[in-house]
Amino acid sequence: MYQPMLFVHWKQVRLLLIPFVVAAFGLPMLAVQGLGADATGGVSAEVYQIVSGYQLWLPLFPMLAGAIGIVLALTAWNWDHRLGHVYALSLPVARWEYALLKMGAGVALGLVPALAFWVGAHVAAASVALPAGLNAYPNQLALRFLLAMIMSYAFFFALGSGTIKTTVWVVSAIFAVLVGSELLGDVLVLYFSGLEGVSFLELATDWLVEMGGPFEVFVGNWTLIDV
Amino acid sequence: MNNAIELADVGWRASKVFALDSVTIRVPRGAIYGFLGPNGSGKTTTIRLFMGMMKADTGAIRVLDREVPREMKSILARVGYVPERPHVYPALTVAEQVRYHASFFRLFDDGWARELIDRLRLDPDQKIARMSKGETGKLLLLLALSQRPELLVLDEPTEGLDPVARRDVLTAVLDYVSETSATVFISSHLVHELERICDWVGVMDGGRIVAETPMQHFKNGTKRLRVAQAPATAADAPFTLVSRQSENGVGSTETWIVRGWDASMRYYFEGAGATLRDVVDLDLEESFVELLRSSRPSTKLGS
Repeated sequence: MYQPMLFVHWKQVRLLLIPFVVAAFGLPMLAVQGLGADATGGVSAEVYQIVSGYQLWLPLFPMLAGAIGIVLALTAWNWDHRLGHVYALSLPVARWEYALLKMGAGVALGLVPALAFWVGAHVAAASVALPAGLNAYPNQLALRFLLAMIMSYAFFFALGSGTIKTTVWVVSAIFAVLVGSELLGDVLVLYFSGLEGVSFLELATDWLVEMGGPFEVFVGNWTLIDV
Repeated sequence: MNNAIELADVGWRASKVFALDSVTIRVPRGAIYGFLGPNGSGKTTTIRLFMGMMKADTGAIRVLDREVPREMKSILARVGYVPERPHVYPALTVAEQVRYHASFFRLFDDGWARELIDRLRLDPDQKIARMSKGETGKLLLLLALSQRPELLVLDEPTEGLDPVARRDVLTAVLDYVSETSATVFISSHLVHELERICDWVGVMDGGRIVAETPMQHFKNGTKRLRVAQAPATAADAPFTLVSRQSENGVGSTETWIVRGWDASMRYYFEGAGATLRDVVDLDLEESFVELLRSSRPSTKLGS
């Protein structure tokens, strides 16, 4: 059952996936373009790190991973939604089993751009003459890319599995929690002076994207070249 | 148990406007059961309930001796389903869709699927998105039949098909039944179509089952009578008077539509001082319309 499921998802997403695979391969190389050309001529490690760590291209890595995850998730459910889930429900598989097969197919397809990214990162790392004290981390960066893509895929896969009504409810609930917590903070400050300066919205977003939260992978260290 | 499908007092409410109300259906094993009803009467909802796609609010459902929805997985492995609207993936070709479908069914017969592709004149390499409605209908039936199901559930399978495609679909169903003695549950509002093939009939209207009977009984029991000097009431009649109407709107000769008629009931008119001039068999469509007319006392139906 898994193989046909993978084939069906592939058939749906293959054309959409091509530009993403090209981007995943090319982005690491674009990010290091022009760097290290005169590394032996005295570019300091500090300058090099600044250039490689904060240049324009690097925020695009997590964005690309996230976009691939979204595309895979939405195409995973696209036909089922369009056909009212009637076909899926008429098959002799439990609903959780069907969802798991679909999820697995999307993850497997995500390996294609992840692999392209890994190759691109290696090619990019090899194309730069690194001065002493700096190292390239293509494997770690590619792993981070894969995990970010899976995280994005899993999140949107879960959202996409429900009806539009359910999705609107979930997104609204998240939004309500974020906004509500901020309003709650404003109210609580009136009674508890110790809470002054504490932003619940900030705490909530920090929990989601930092401190080991589920989206932390998107904001971690995405540099290919580091000390 | 002798029934392939059993619904007992099943209720389901979608809104204040539409609900299924205490639906009881018994489809005998091996029967070709025609499920009749006007559009919007609840036929597809009923099918989706016993196919486990929706959950009934009340009542109990069993299909092939198993409980719905608890044992759905094992039920669906033995049921071939052709839904009202095409539900297959448009970007696949016929052959790809067949392969995909086959991977879910242990008993799927690849050889027979290939044979059906030939018989139904389908092109294995054709993309589903580019197929006509008739071809898609045939593909859906092909998928269902190739599973070698014990129960075939067809929801408006010939709706919108041209006469040739319709004949192909019905012939394939009948061939399968004659070969395997499978049970067929076929929903339609194309009454003439069911008349030829079904041996049981259930009629649904407004979310209720208004009749469930062997086809022969349904057809033979409903008659149009021409009665001269018709009595004012028929409360003591041995049959059910569905409707009565004066001929040309005036005079004492009336046209009666009756149910539960038997030739021996002629005596009733002699005793009532009336004369029975004529007894006309109604075809299934006329019987169906009259049945709906009688089950909706406040509504006038066209005939």
